[in-house]
Amino acid sequence: MMVSSCPISPLLAAGSMPLLHNALIVGAILFALGLVGILTRRNLIVMFLSAELMLQGISVSLVAWSRYHGDWGGQVLVIFVLTVAACEAAVALVFVLQAFARTGRLDAAAWQSLRDESLARTVDRELPASDATPASWPRLSPAGVLPTGGGEDDQQRQHI
Amino acid sequence: MIAAALPSLSPGVLLAAAVTSAAASLWLLLPRGSENTAARWLGMLLGAAALAGFIATGRRLGSLGEDAVFLTVSLVAVISGAATIVTRSPVYAAIWFAMALTGVAGVLLVLGAQFLGVATIVVYAGAILVMFLFVLMLAQPSGLAPYDRVSSEPLLSAVAGAVLLGLLTLSIGRLSAEPAACCAVPSRTAAVTEDPLRSTPLATDPMAAIDPLADDQIARLGSELFGRHLLSVEVAGLLLLVALIGAVAVVSRGEAALEADRGSLTERTGG
Repeated sequence: MMVSSCPISPLLAAGSMPLLHNALIVGAILFALGLVGILTRRNLIVMFLSAELMLQGISVSLVAWSRYHGDWGGQVLVIFVLTVAACEAAVALVFVLQAFARTGRLDAAAWQSLRDESLARTVDRELPASDATPASWPRLSPAGVLPTGGGEDDQQRQHI
Repeated sequence: MIAAALPSLSPGVLLAAAVTSAAASLWLLLPRGSENTAARWLGMLLGAAALAGFIATGRRLGSLGEDAVFLTVSLVAVISGAATIVTRSPVYAAIWFAMALTGVAGVLLVLGAQFLGVATIVVYAGAILVMFLFVLMLAQPSGLAPYDRVSSEPLLSAVAGAVLLGLLTLSIGRLSAEPAACCAVPSRTAAVTEDPLRSTPLATDPMAAIDPLADDQIARLGSELFGRHLLSVEVAGLLLLVALIGAVAVVSRGEAALEADRGSLTERTGG
């Protein structure tokens, strides 16, 4: 068996309890953040990103246990998690696009006609005007041809 | 670290305080319709306090360098993960998620999973995230939509997340400091060595199964994947194919149905 000559602390070797503990904490925090995101955000795509964040937390925990037990099972499972996440993203994004084509919104509440009869209808309150667009865009030092600016440029920026 | 400076605080109290301030910080930072700069700063302060609490409950890995590396990558992952769910713009949320992926990849590298660290970047940030950004480009109304500026029940969700996180961290904190007896159980790598599918046995030492410094680490992962889990690899390939066909079918059928809907609508309104 090859023995590494590189100095590494025994705590980082296989079966290290502090490493497992810390990595599990990180995985738990990522999972909880994803849970909060999927519960509370209303944009379908951000909800989906939160689900992916939960998967990342799971991956960290699985690899930590795999390292602790000196077993490849956890890492192999994470490879399959990656595969299934790719499939799930492809299929679900198609559904999101179809939903957007039907309602013109990425809002989960746009589909609230599917709710239970006993549940109250979600009513959006009036929002103050959006301050999303900053008053001034950052200025870059001029280089190349001066852009003509105007309509199309602003339209692109409004998408961000 | 901080726990040494505050000997009077028991780990349980520290954890409870950290989880509570994390929930409060999320509640303050989540989009709630009104843009309040003071609330946002307070939320960030509370979030920093929560992170300090979690760091204080963490255990020392050994040398200062190992601690610093792990702390850096996990802070990147956690802070970017929080920014993913609190930011208003979905495009920025996707970018923050890419940042969280780099942090997670760093954690995986520290844990000795080199292949997975690289695969996370390549597959997630390179492929899945680009798909998200494409969909956002196709389906994003101009400006910030009202549903991006209001979240549903932020208080209840933050409390639910805090309860889950508190339970998880409590049970993780109960893990004993002793190396478990399970590590002495012969690893499955030994069983793989006798696998008739493989002609050249690689590892026989179970403890060296996941040595982050081994030269042939990825080769061992590959032999495990294509040895014991060969059938699962085939099934995963089949799943990818089915997902591809399904996505194409849903798009083509859906557009036909959409056209039919529109046609019947114009007939009804026109007639």
